Amino acid sequence: MNVSSLPPDSEGQPSRSAPRTEGSRGRETEAAHLVELMALSARGHEYAFAELYDLTSQRVYGIILRVLRSPDHAAEVMQEVYVEVWRQSARYSSTKGSVIAWMTTMAHRRAVDRVRSVSSEVARDERYALHRGDREIDQVWDGVEQRLDVERVRKGMASLTPIQREALTLAYFGGYTQSQVAQLLKLPLGTVKTRIRDGLIGLRDALGVEA
Amino acid sequence: MSEIHGAVGSYVANALDPDELDEFEAHLAVCPTCSREVQEFGETVAELSLLASVTPPAELRGSILAAVSQVRPLPPEPLAELAPVEAEAPSATPVSQPPVDELALRRQQRRARLLSVLVAAVVAAALAMGGVVYGLVQSRQAQVAQQTAATELLTAPDVRTYSTTMKDGGQISFVVSKSLNRAMFVGKDLPAVGNDKRYQLWTLEGQRAIADNLVAGGGDRQQFFREGLSGITGLAVSVEDAGGAQQPNPATIQAVTEL
Repeated sequence: MNVSSLPPDSEGQPSRSAPRTEGSRGRETEAAHLVELMALSARGHEYAFAELYDLTSQRVYGIILRVLRSPDHAAEVMQEVYVEVWRQSARYSSTKGSVIAWMTTMAHRRAVDRVRSVSSEVARDERYALHRGDREIDQVWDGVEQRLDVERVRKGMASLTPIQREALTLAYFGGYTQSQVAQLLKLPLGTVKTRIRDGLIGLRDALGVEA
Repeated sequence: MSEIHGAVGSYVANALDPDELDEFEAHLAVCPTCSREVQEFGETVAELSLLASVTPPAELRGSILAAVSQVRPLPPEPLAELAPVEAEAPSATPVSQPPVDELALRRQQRRARLLSVLVAAVVAAALAMGGVVYGLVQSRQAQVAQQTAATELLTAPDVRTYSTTMKDGGQISFVVSKSLNRAMFVGKDLPAVGNDKRYQLWTLEGQRAIADNLVAGGGDRQQFFREGLSGITGLAVSVEDAGGAQQPNPATIQAVTEL
């Protein structure tokens, strides 16, 4: 399915207080802006929360949908996550990490919880995960900067060994436990554990991520 | 490197089984290297999420913003109310304990430990709640009667905990056992509300709110609901004048939980 032909959010993207520029400068500016929006949300400003939603919803929804595969479940988890973000906005602290990491962590955890509690209902095709898992599908980029960011991450993933990439993809995008990943890849658990961590180290270094 | 340390990647990918998770979190609490790696990997997988970006259905935006504009929106299902995701490490040792009988204290602490283990076994995602309950039990050494009732509630086979953050801050939980027909309000670091105001508890029967007990602001508090649970569909807390109100003031409702 090709979603890129769909119209953008009907509400439109609100203006950003800081224009995004190319590369890490733009990312830092955007990260700082998200922190600002969280602080405003914590004080009850719904317009700030709406902008926070517009700036983060593609990534948050994307990860939830990727893990859950079911749009119905994804919409529910999405709603839970954002309501929880709103409720907990006063508890976010930038010392714990970036806003987007805080949100995607919450989203991923809830999506995974959902998968594990309803796995009998949701038909999850393991071959799909194995063969399509790290290929981006159904996605839209909203501009050049985002395309560059995506390219950077894709290159980072490409720098991993195939086993690292596959183990990380199955765990993160597939929502599988490390024991399930070990079964799927027919590898010992210890090996999978190491590959997932090594994969993250490789990706962290490739992306120049700092805590 | 110890084997447990190696689980940090799987931890960030939420790929640990529950027993592995417990083991790793116990390790994480004492391992600065792992803590740093958890944070770095958290940022790394956040970047990874770029590869999955999808525009959500347009109607979700409206529905989420509508939910947020209600003071405390009800979640799609009560399970979503379980302990908050961002569990903060429980600070288990209150500093300003008055000196008390050593033996009683030790007994109390043993019970608190036992309790927190029991609670952890009963409540999913028990870390945050364990912290609340542990601190709560430890800080209430004199109130034995209340404590016995609380112990009974917390160890009831069908006990459920609904945790949330109030509108004006402060982490609260409603601890509920249908078999005991009792519910308790537990507040951690409640914001002060002044001498002329109290937190007021409410039981909800559909659209109807029934006034329940009052709780002073500030610090850690626990308070049983006066009402039993039959016919009750939800619990709420608001801030009212010290004498209590007959109807909750919509503007001051702090949290609502659907049972």
